[in-house]
Amino acid sequence: MNVIELEDVVKRYRSGEEIIEALKGVDFQADRGEMVTVIGPSGSGKSTMLNIIGLLDTPTEGTVRLDGRNVTDFSEDELTEERRSGIGFVFQDFHLLPMLTATENVELPSMWDTSVDRHDRAIDLLERVGLGDRLEHTPKQLSGGQKQRVAIARALINEPDILLADEPTGNLDQDTGETILEELTRLKEEEDVAIVAVTHDEQMLQYTDSTVRIVDGVIQEVVPA
Amino acid sequence: MSVADVLWRFPSALMAWRNLGRNRVRTGLAALGIVIGVIAIASLGMAGAAIQQQATTDLGGLASEVTVSAGEDSEQDGLTDDQVAEMRAIAGDAPVVPQKSNATRLTSRSGEEVFVSVTAVEQANVLYNVTTGDSPDRLESGALISASTAEQLGLEIGDPVEYDGRLYRIRGLIGSSQGFGGGGNELVLPLSALSDQQYYDSVTIEASDGDQATAISDGLEERFNEGDEEVISVTNFAGVQDNIDSFLNTLNLALLGIGSISLVVASVAILNVMLMSTIERRGEIGVLRAVGIRRGEVLRMILTEAAFLGVIGGFLGALVSLGVGMLMFDLIADDALLVFGWSSFRYLFYGFGFAVFASLLSGLYPAWKAANDRPVDALRG
Ligand SMILES: Nc1ncnc2c1ncn2[C@@H]1O[C@H](COP(=O)(O)OP(=O)(O)OP(=O)(O)O)[C@@H](O)[C@H]1O
Ligand SMILES: [Mg+2]
Repeated sequence: MNVIELEDVVKRYRSGEEIIEALKGVDFQADRGEMVTVIGPSGSGKSTMLNIIGLLDTPTEGTVRLDGRNVTDFSEDELTEERRSGIGFVFQDFHLLPMLTATENVELPSMWDTSVDRHDRAIDLLERVGLGDRLEHTPKQLSGGQKQRVAIARALINEPDILLADEPTGNLDQDTGETILEELTRLKEEEDVAIVAVTHDEQMLQYTDSTVRIVDGVIQEVVPA
Repeated sequence: MSVADVLWRFPSALMAWRNLGRNRVRTGLAALGIVIGVIAIASLGMAGAAIQQQATTDLGGLASEVTVSAGEDSEQDGLTDDQVAEMRAIAGDAPVVPQKSNATRLTSRSGEEVFVSVTAVEQANVLYNVTTGDSPDRLESGALISASTAEQLGLEIGDPVEYDGRLYRIRGLIGSSQGFGGGGNELVLPLSALSDQQYYDSVTIEASDGDQATAISDGLEERFNEGDEEVISVTNFAGVQDNIDSFLNTLNLALLGIGSISLVVASVAILNVMLMSTIERRGEIGVLRAVGIRRGEVLRMILTEAAFLGVIGGFLGALVSLGVGMLMFDLIADDALLVFGWSSFRYLFYGFGFAVFASLLSGLYPAWKAANDRPVDALRG
């Protein structure tokens, strides 16, 4: 069964008098251990789709299913619980908290959870992305690629089923981007997560299991690898 | 175990502490606003307490004093022994001190003349505050004299003064007398000195407090004055004390009001700081919400920041206020340690409590706003 399923999803934004239809009936699915890349021109609706999968935003019409459960009409608090337990995010500009160390940043999603201690897992994940010697560094003391690896470790801390990445290599140079993609591919297998990544980065297509192209809010073609 | 290790168990506290540490200047200025507010409220409160305390000490003797003299309808020119005996019955355990009075002229060796009022009394210690020499509870021989008069006349303890052809040896010097009428030239003699005077001019009753004084006054009026008759004239100042108390309470409230205004100003400053810092961190808070931090947790984190500001500012403010209070009590009541009396010390707690309360109150809106910002909107910026 697919861990992510969008069915006929429509998203409209109202800005003043004008109504913008960012997604015009999108069907999409992805499964654990699979990496799907979303490409398309600027403004075509890629981020909008990713935000809906990530439960940061709700569709105007259509259905969102996670692991077969219909979460479309969940309240904000229920959505928060789903995000906490099941979804990890990696952003283009890292979004690490500057006053926390690398380890603390990785622990952040589980910080308020007194029932589990994720400290050892945080260190383990940082070691696995090659930052075993940067545990106590703050984001200011890390390079772009290192920051993005901390962000990936953070996204995986709560053992999610889904990892969402909006242009994860967008702020990195070619070589660094490549190591990040290798990292993601390896962790996808090890952690058995579904990865959905939005990108403009051509080299990403080498690592992906399938590619989806969106143009003007409509999915145009699905390219299996 | 470091502070961070302990804080780590309280994630809201840890995050709040780190956030405040990020912009120390801003945190410092916000806390300074509270410090000033607390100093204003606590010092003004303590100033009121100091004034009230001193006023009560100064007037205390007066309010509990009942003075009786012959009224318009009295059959004789003064109060009789029988009347005094009845007053004793009514006054219970409060000392009843009958006095005879006159006036005379004393001459110093250098020929300087001073007019003095002469009071003949037995229980002199009840009425007079003797600063040097002894303070007899049965004055049967010798004399007391105002310290200032003695100085004017060049008299010392042991020197004789003459009244009505007899000599009296000075036993004690009187400081400024209790209540009104102090500071005059007074000569205090045994009752025998005025034995040619048949009646007492006045009787002073020293109650233990204003309430007892009022009760005794009422009892005397009822016993001696029937209807509109005024056989005796009874005076007491308990009512004056009430007026002064209510005036001081009003003064206190006014002072606290002024103090509160500065705390309101401080709260607005915190509101501004908290609002600015949450707006600046909008994206960050969006990330927290995106990775699954609950709304209540974000709310707690920001409220904890505000509370920290209040606690730090309140504590420093209370500390400075303590110093200010000690200075004030030193000036007003001549004893800096009186500040530790609950009637003034409590203002430090009030100031601290107000600071924490006001900070939490001003943190509420920014915290609520940040917690309820939709994560998509917050992330988009
Ligand atoms: N909150 C919003 N309010 C109004 N319009 C919006 C909002 N968010 C997105 N849009 C519009 O929806 C459309 C799709 O936006 P989206 O961010 O999904 O594009 P994208 O494919 O991610 O583009 P890019 O590659 O530039 O990131 C755009 O036309 C955008 O202007
Ligand atoms: Mg986008």
